[in-house]
Amino acid sequence: MQKRSSTAGAPLSKARALSLPGARRLCAVLCGLPFLATLAVSCSLDPVHRAGVKNLGTEQSNLYPPESEYHRPGEPCALCHSAAGPANSDYVLAGTVFWGPDKYERRVDQAYVRIVGPEKTKKCFVTNCNGNFYVTSEEYKNIKFPLLVSVERVNKPGGKGADDEKSIKVRRMSSHIGRDASCATCHILGLRDFGSPGQIRMFDTEGEVDAAKVPLASSCPNDLPRETLCPEDRL
Amino acid sequence: MKALRVAFFASIVGSFVAFAAALSCASSPDENRLTQAIVPDYDTYVATVDTYLTRRCGSLDCHGQAGRAYRIYSREGFRLYTIQDGALVSGQQPTAPEEQRANFQALVALEPEEMTRLMARQGENPNLLLFLRKSLKLERHKGGPAMAEDDPGYRCVVAWLSIPVVKGDGTPIPPKDRAKLSASAQRNCTEAASFP
Repeated sequence: MQKRSSTAGAPLSKARALSLPGARRLCAVLCGLPFLATLAVSCSLDPVHRAGVKNLGTEQSNLYPPESEYHRPGEPCALCHSAAGPANSDYVLAGTVFWGPDKYERRVDQAYVRIVGPEKTKKCFVTNCNGNFYVTSEEYKNIKFPLLVSVERVNKPGGKGADDEKSIKVRRMSSHIGRDASCATCHILGLRDFGSPGQIRMFDTEGEVDAAKVPLASSCPNDLPRETLCPEDRL
Repeated sequence: MKALRVAFFASIVGSFVAFAAALSCASSPDENRLTQAIVPDYDTYVATVDTYLTRRCGSLDCHGQAGRAYRIYSREGFRLYTIQDGALVSGQQPTAPEEQRANFQALVALEPEEMTRLMARQGENPNLLLFLRKSLKLERHKGGPAMAEDDPGYRCVVAWLSIPVVKGDGTPIPPKDRAKLSASAQRNCTEAASFP
């Protein structure tokens, strides 16, 4: 009691101001803000994005190697591969090319995906054995929309024979990509209706795919030699 | 001191309650109230402008979406599912007249009062329309700049908006008596419709 009374008067009010709940609250807020900021950065607080990611469901390890460049063909890649996460890498454009409109398992290996930007920038990417292609911001710096896209599959990509680089089929998008990085946002897997033209496909019917006797990858991933560059990018 | 603090918090809580009450007491919308708008020439829109706007703005990842105020239907994008038993599929059948009508309505209904004022002054100063302010990125537009003042698409749209639909005294001009697009405006529209 003696000690308390000895600090009475003006000095006591100053000491109180610093030690009482007001200062603690300030300290808590200052400490809490960085914590909340870290939380916001590390996980998506956008409920729409969160719901979109959740709706993708779990990985199908019987269909593809999970969390690899071959995974989730036909799904909206940049939903997860974006600043909002949860994937670590960001894609500015990504998708999957199928041979036909319906069959999930018939995907196009080594298709050339050509992109033309509004400033006549041209880029070409090659699909992997599961039909997936993806473009990182390093691979396409300062990407600007709208983009025009075409897809081509040749007889034997990278082959030296006379007919090896002859087209089996070329498909051009009739409209442009306005701004979405995921092809599958509009090209919904196996669905053709008022809001989706269906999955990206080389042929409009599965019958045409059968008739064209297209090359299909027997397994993916595999150790077969493959071309990873478009003809215009090869040295 | 404690009483003062209690009074302070009570006043804050009281203001929130009063604000919430004021919001909840707003009058219900009058269903009989109509806003009559003066709209630009429909025939010219269908003949020359719709093709450009659907190609430029109507892709499925932009305005070809149900959730957009300016919602665009077209062959290449979103389809009007309330016609033909919902049989229209994106990318297949040609754009239907009902879809063009819906596109026109969506555009003029964005700001009916502002559109009316623009028509009343016979298309002068069209950049007051939100539709053009966003396209030119004078105002925030998620899709970036979609037009520039020197591109044929913008000139086509402005030429269309400049067709007089009312006389100076406000008397409507019948569609058959309205002016047509000039030859240069037609050329701009044709060039713009070939986008991209």
